[in-house]
Amino acid sequence: MNGTKLSEATILDALRQVIDPELGCNIVDLGLIYTVSITDAKVTVAMTLTTQGCPMHESIRIGAVNVLLNLPDVDDAEVELVWDPPWHPSMMTEIGRAATGVGDF
Amino acid sequence: MEVSLPISARSSRPRKEAEGHRLENSRPVTAGVTATSICLPLMFILTGLVALCAGVAWLIFEPSVLATYHYNQHIIAATHLFVLGWICSIVMGAMYQLVPVALETKLYSNKLAHWQFAFHIVGFIGMVWMFRVWNMKQVGHFGCVLGVGVGLFVYNIARTLRRVPKWNVTASAVTAALGWISVAIVAGLLIATAKCTYETESDTSLPAAVNSLIHGLRAVGIVVSRYNPISAMHAHAHLGALGFFTLLIVGVSYKLIPMFTLSEVQSRRRAAFSIALLNVGLAGAFVTILAGSPWKLAFALMVVAGLIVYAIEIVAILRARKRRSLDWGIKYFLTALALLLPLSVLAIVLSWPALPFNLFTGQLENLYGFLGLIGVISFAIVGMLYKIIPFLVWFGRYSQHIGRAKVPALADLYSPQLQAAGYWSWVAGLIVVCTAIVLTSEIGVRIGCILLAVSLGTLMFNVGTMFSHFIRPKLEELSFAPNFSPIPAPTAP
Repeated sequence: MNGTKLSEATILDALRQVIDPELGCNIVDLGLIYTVSITDAKVTVAMTLTTQGCPMHESIRIGAVNVLLNLPDVDDAEVELVWDPPWHPSMMTEIGRAATGVGDF
Repeated sequence: MEVSLPISARSSRPRKEAEGHRLENSRPVTAGVTATSICLPLMFILTGLVALCAGVAWLIFEPSVLATYHYNQHIIAATHLFVLGWICSIVMGAMYQLVPVALETKLYSNKLAHWQFAFHIVGFIGMVWMFRVWNMKQVGHFGCVLGVGVGLFVYNIARTLRRVPKWNVTASAVTAALGWISVAIVAGLLIATAKCTYETESDTSLPAAVNSLIHGLRAVGIVVSRYNPISAMHAHAHLGALGFFTLLIVGVSYKLIPMFTLSEVQSRRRAAFSIALLNVGLAGAFVTILAGSPWKLAFALMVVAGLIVYAIEIVAILRARKRRSLDWGIKYFLTALALLLPLSVLAIVLSWPALPFNLFTGQLENLYGFLGLIGVISFAIVGMLYKIIPFLVWFGRYSQHIGRAKVPALADLYSPQLQAAGYWSWVAGLIVVCTAIVLTSEIGVRIGCILLAVSLGTLMFNVGTMFSHFIRPKLEELSFAPNFSPIPAPTAP
């Protein structure tokens, strides 16, 4: 423990360490993270993937769990895959769009 | 403290709370327990690559197989090396990996797939060898070994398809392809049966069952011999090339092209219609080619119509894509699809009822086969290999490290410059070989195949680079571990 307070920004910074290997961009800037809930030392994340049936889905989901569990103030982490609403490229950040070559909308 | 918030820059709030499954509270967690073993598809893929190298080397050293008419043992042996050793190995290995992925289910049996691999290796090597020395009885025996393997493959994938939660056009195409490969194998064995010689009298030293089998084979051979052997060979070839390979390319691309370009199928009805036209057209084409009927033109047009509908849908998918830039793997694949246009023109010309048979039209048939197998199917496969192999390597080497270390993206596993060089040398090789086939130029075929070998060299170098990650993985520590300090959020450029 180094006394770091858990916050949305902390969680998102941590999740930026997880990439979608096909698109070569982190899951936050891809707009895959829908919600973050923090309750004491427990973090719950609802995320989606760009394609249902993505072959990487289990790896990415568990990668997100691992990166959260690496945070000093996190004792428990849950990452849930959701498909509603379906992901759309408009959910990406500018950084995500630049990294993946996705055009404007 | 409880916070619940939408995250993405311009994301909409989820309409309802997630109902996903929950993870156990343990650290760290590993992935991939439900995935197909990567060893299985890699075994098939490496076998296919070795066969492709052997096949291209064969054409370099014996270019006459393409520069002369195709009804001889050398080109039939070489064709089966390409079709069974290269294309079938890759397609089957990829199907064991991709069918569960594309259809969101699990492979029925890894064990059956490993058995199939053994039958496949023995069967196709034996067949190529026996075609080369023209021992049709042994071709039949090794063909049976291969056929047992194909039977296991069909059963395994069919049982996998039964688990598909949502039936779609890709599942329909895969199902049809399984039917066509089964018919193609049976047709091939029947042709081999017709080409064997049988003793007219029973051998009393053999068991009665064996003598009955020989009598039965002889009777089948007599029936099959009524058909023109070249027509039978062409009909058999279409079952495999169009029914199995092309139908799979069409069906799977309805899943993979949207996945890789961030798009969607634009008309499911149109996609299904293309599959239906291809199936009906092929059924009619098989019968009319076998019978030498002038109606084969009508069914060729039906197949071409199916390909046109397919092309319309692919163009619509690409126009709707969100990812504007196309990577080289997709460029390989789309170029292969574009080659369906000259291939379709050739198909119509060669189906023309009044077409005379002479040296030129004979070479057009060679061109048709070469363009179909090496131009369309092989080029598409190489493009997809640049998706499949990086995924398998990444999955096998890095998936367990994601979230625990900084891992490379798939595109970081190989050289895109070499990939581009491979694309252009393949295109150049195709143009040269196709021209040389028409001109019956052996030296032209050799030069073109050397260009194909250069392309193959770039592919093999990239494959080696990808595999080197198993020995020397590129892992870096995460930015914040173990002494975490918050990272400033990236700002938009």
